[in-house]
Amino acid sequence: MNKPELIYTTYLRTTPEKLWNAITNPEFARQYWGGNENVSDWKPGSKWSHVSGDPGRAVRVTGKVLESVPPKRLVLTWADPADEADVSRVTFEIEAIEDEVRLNVIHGDFKPGSDMVTKVSGGWPRVLSSLKSFLETGKSLKAASCASKHAEMAKASA
Amino acid sequence: MTKPEFIYVTYIKTTPNKLWNAIIDPEFMKQYWFGMHCESEWKAGSSWKLLFSDGSLADAGKIIESARGKKLVIKWRNEWKPQLKAEGYSRCVFKIEPAGDAVKLTVTHSIGRKSSKFIEAVSGGWPKILSNLKSLLETGEIVLGGKH
Repeated sequence: MNKPELIYTTYLRTTPEKLWNAITNPEFARQYWGGNENVSDWKPGSKWSHVSGDPGRAVRVTGKVLESVPPKRLVLTWADPADEADVSRVTFEIEAIEDEVRLNVIHGDFKPGSDMVTKVSGGWPRVLSSLKSFLETGKSLKAASCASKHAEMAKASA
Repeated sequence: MTKPEFIYVTYIKTTPNKLWNAIIDPEFMKQYWFGMHCESEWKAGSSWKLLFSDGSLADAGKIIESARGKKLVIKWRNEWKPQLKAEGYSRCVFKIEPAGDAVKLTVTHSIGRKSSKFIEAVSGGWPKILSNLKSLLETGEIVLGGKH
């Protein structure tokens, strides 16, 4: 049986530094990632969390920084704070190609029987499309917002 | 083992109609598809060809389904690499759906085999082409130039 793994590759007109910053700086992430921020000091062994940018500061995802090589490679563990044992792993690989940048996001190492892969498979293309728009045009996509995600989930379960 | 299916989803700030035109218009296509373009009437049953920039044949097949602004299904075979041609016909589905201020494009390219060098080959190409397409529609410029 194949191990489930999500791989998403996108090419962006930006620099590795700007892309690294867009992922790790809460001020930027909030603008394209459904209003959420990524918060950490981004050192190996540190905790990181994906936190709502609104006053409630709800923690959506939590984990540890496994590897951090700015602006090339970031490896994180990834879990719902309500079920931290259901942990998986996300790798961001950033590579400059001529004047552009290739971003690979690999989400894998899911626990057997975990439904995390289903939860995140729709989200990554949405967030990474919004990230690309944000870096190239200065505007993110509203399609990446939680509201549209929840609307889609409601539609899918109807 | 190679998975005989490749799926790519991207969200583009455009309209379903503009995205449809971007997929079927040969001159527009050349800009984001590294100089290559298609020839087809884009009706169910029409023949379909993908041509290199010098006009030689890359891939060919026919249109299975065509619903403007919504769905396009192409029966698709490589014609220039004997090893890939031998794998026979693949199926490429473009699904276009409105998604808030953007349009969701899902490209599903599959083949009825247990493993496929053809699907492996297109798996590297689609992210480049669709990243270019998104940039071209949103900014008027592509991301990746001709060196592919």
